[in-house]
Amino acid sequence: MIIVTYVKHVPDAEARLSTEGGRIAVDGASFALDGMDEYGVEQAVRWKEAGIAREVVAVALGPAAAETALRTALALGADRAVLIETDDDLDPVAQATPLADAVRRAGADVLFVGGKQADWDSAALGPAVAEALGWPLCDWAIELRVEGTTLEAVHDVDDGVEAWSAPLPAVVTTQQGLNEPRYPTLPNIMKAKRKPFEHVALAGVAARTSTLAAALPSRARRGVRLEGDPAAVAADLVRRLRDEAKAL
Amino acid sequence: MDVILVAIEHVDGAPRRGSLELLSAARALAGAEPVTAAVVADAGVADAVAPFADRVLLLEGDGLRAPNHERRTAALAAAAREAGATLVLMAAGRSGQAVAPRLAVRLGGSLLEDVAGLRRDGGAWLGERLAYLSRAVLTVRSEATIAIATVKAGTYPAPAAAGGRGEVRRVPIASVVGDDLARPGERRAAGRGRVALEEAEVVVCGGRGVGSAEAFEALVVGLADDLGAAVAATRAAVDAGWRPYAEQVGQTGKSVSPRLYLAVGVSGAVQHVSGMNRSGTVVAINKDPEAPLFQLADYAVVGDVHAVVPALRSALAGMD
Amino acid sequence: MDFALSDELLELQQAVRAFARREIAPVAAALDRDPRFPWPTLRRMGEMGLLGVLTPEAYGGLGLGHLAYAVLLEEVAAADASHATIASVTNGLPQAMILRHGTEVQRRRWLPRLASGEWIGAFCLTEAHAGSDAAALRTRAVPVDGGYRLRGSKAWITSGGEAHLYLVLARTDPTTEAGARGITAFVVERDAPGLSFGAPERKLGQHAAITAGAVLDDVFVPSDQRLGAEGQGFVLAMDALDGGRVGIAAQALGIGRAALDAALAHAGERRAFGRPIREFQGVAFRLADVALRLDAARLLTHRAAWALDRAARATKEAAMAKLAASEASVDACDAAIQVLGAYGYSADYPVERYWRDARVTTIYEGTSEIQRVVIARQLHREHGRSVPEPVT
Repeated sequence: MIIVTYVKHVPDAEARLSTEGGRIAVDGASFALDGMDEYGVEQAVRWKEAGIAREVVAVALGPAAAETALRTALALGADRAVLIETDDDLDPVAQATPLADAVRRAGADVLFVGGKQADWDSAALGPAVAEALGWPLCDWAIELRVEGTTLEAVHDVDDGVEAWSAPLPAVVTTQQGLNEPRYPTLPNIMKAKRKPFEHVALAGVAARTSTLAAALPSRARRGVRLEGDPAAVAADLVRRLRDEAKAL
Repeated sequence: MDVILVAIEHVDGAPRRGSLELLSAARALAGAEPVTAAVVADAGVADAVAPFADRVLLLEGDGLRAPNHERRTAALAAAAREAGATLVLMAAGRSGQAVAPRLAVRLGGSLLEDVAGLRRDGGAWLGERLAYLSRAVLTVRSEATIAIATVKAGTYPAPAAAGGRGEVRRVPIASVVGDDLARPGERRAAGRGRVALEEAEVVVCGGRGVGSAEAFEALVVGLADDLGAAVAATRAAVDAGWRPYAEQVGQTGKSVSPRLYLAVGVSGAVQHVSGMNRSGTVVAINKDPEAPLFQLADYAVVGDVHAVVPALRSALAGMD
Repeated sequence: MDFALSDELLELQQAVRAFARREIAPVAAALDRDPRFPWPTLRRMGEMGLLGVLTPEAYGGLGLGHLAYAVLLEEVAAADASHATIASVTNGLPQAMILRHGTEVQRRRWLPRLASGEWIGAFCLTEAHAGSDAAALRTRAVPVDGGYRLRGSKAWITSGGEAHLYLVLARTDPTTEAGARGITAFVVERDAPGLSFGAPERKLGQHAAITAGAVLDDVFVPSDQRLGAEGQGFVLAMDALDGGRVGIAAQALGIGRAALDAALAHAGERRAFGRPIREFQGVAFRLADVALRLDAARLLTHRAAWALDRAARATKEAAMAKLAASEASVDACDAAIQVLGAYGYSADYPVERYWRDARVTTIYEGTSEIQRVVIARQLHREHGRSVPEPVT
């Protein structure tokens, strides 16, 4: 089995954001491999260590800076990396076809994608690529097993969890609970520099959705501070919620 | 001319609240143009939504009784083509999240994901959506001839009076090619059948400051029961094994925007805040006076949750 | 002259920072209150490569230079000083000494286990009456058939009783004229008969860096466990001290940085008289001075590391770095307590622990006074005046 694990280079939770000419600018030092994608990389590497998979390919679609996320994936255990390079801001639907092409080129049987992306706040990429590939998708997987040529999983649905199964090849979107990702050790970070790294130019793909403007609103909160005797504070809070905030 | 198609989700024979809200959104957006509703496999639901739409397409076929994402996508794609839709509205939620992008790719359209303020501008559909862990607001525009928009529950009001008697038309859907695709298995409900977290009006969330699973049950679940609220937990509480993942709110969990959000023993890390900062009124109870969540709270209660929450429950009981 | 760290080093720093935040920082407070040697986190540090930074890859280490060592150790210390001390000792003293002065057989025997963290190394030089005047040590190494018998006691051993391998300095030549030249270095393994350890010392801080005295009661050490030649021990130890001092300087910087960060965070949130306290010059100036001292010390530390990577010795540079960093760190921690006020004095906040942990950095690995002696001697030497050679 060959696994492709998609990785994205996103601002980390503490990154400082600002707006610049209608776009969001991020303090360059604060990027990292998207936490959601890490569960996919970890799962792929574990299957390789268990002998279920023979190759793990990390794939990213984005600007040259995305190399960092790919190098982290290599340090976590991926065998090789592919960067589909573009400076264009492409939405998940537009990315679906070039990514599907890369998955097919790698001869993969499984594609892992993080359940939600921390920059676009989008859960669309997994389903979009699954459609472009014509593969079934297990989204928000929390348990995963390979039984012969079938993928067995447990995943989140609107009102609970559900068992799921489908024949390979398949796409899986990953989230917390699927596994406990390892951290890249220093020896592995250094070894990663020697692993194969391929750059593929991307041309002729138009965005399906464009961003016209961006803002960083800060919502004014009442900022009422209540302290002191619990009974008095509770009574005060209930009264304010009912009369002031009209929330009760 | 615009044709708006609303995908109706239903559970236990009734349309979901989020889908009904989209009918009123469609009516407001369509103006004089027709509003079509698409219902998969349930004639009763089709009849229930008919008063709010001009036309209802009842999609029927093998495997649509308990459809997986691929079958739902095939059915809605057929409905969109049948109706000549230029905008398809779907409720955001686990199902909408998985189907809408598929539909966009299948129809060669665009996806406006989790949008609000949907409107037309010079021939294109526009809306606002959140990004960067709910810290930024982006104005996005469809660049395709058909747009699929997912909308979170509570963004639009529930439909008021019926707009007109919609006729129900049955549309047969052929089996999806490769029908051996994903087979959903048995479903296990999370929690005790309370209000679905993403649709709740009031949410009570517990964090590490609650201290233990027992205290969580007593304080957070107890308070939620008093308020008829949904129960939520931070990643710390879930990692500690006190609550299931289904209740997690935050970057790797669910996003909620209830009218009232009460955070009990929650410090307020960015990853958590990204899942709740659009809430109407935020109350934070924490013994650490420098808890980051206090910056975002409408009401910051500094005190021991073990004393404040019981006092709050008494005060609420006394209110009625 | 490029003051920026290389991309590769930045990547390693990021990885260690994330590791330290996730694995080390969460256990620091509990270990301070309820001290025990932190084996679980040390194991993970070993997997991470942090316990064999300088040792070449051929022996299972990372083969990085002193600059990388300083940068990475600072990250560990910012999460917890005790972990950094244990790491600094095992990296810098027995491991570096065996690497530079051991035979190939000795290197192959011990380095892989130390570099991987499977074994922790410790250093036994100081005795109850011989600290700064280390050459006054009295532990004897009496030659016997096949080796030596070690007799005496050692004090203040970091990882004492817990470590697997001890580098012991003992006197092979007891004559008074011999002085430092009568001292020889030996590698002793923990289970050697006759080696026993005292109860852990009760210290002001760095509680998890278990420190204990040892008694060597006719401990037999085979000749192939002698490091270097007889009489060479002291020089070997001094040779390793430059690197050791850079390590401690880095550690002090880490603690100081944690204290400064805590003070800055608090000063931004805490309001008094209608504004955040960082807007008051009394607070702002104090923090500016702290940042200046820490930054200057960091530059000295990185310079000493750089110098060590180019030449075998960088005695003056390392002494300056250690002196500057340890004193800047204690100052930073003191300032942090003051800025946090009552919260600074409370055990519910980490700042008082930072101060207790930092306070020993001006004492161990050569007191501030000794560092000044070293610097002064180097200055005189550079100016061509001859000075009687003190033994340290």
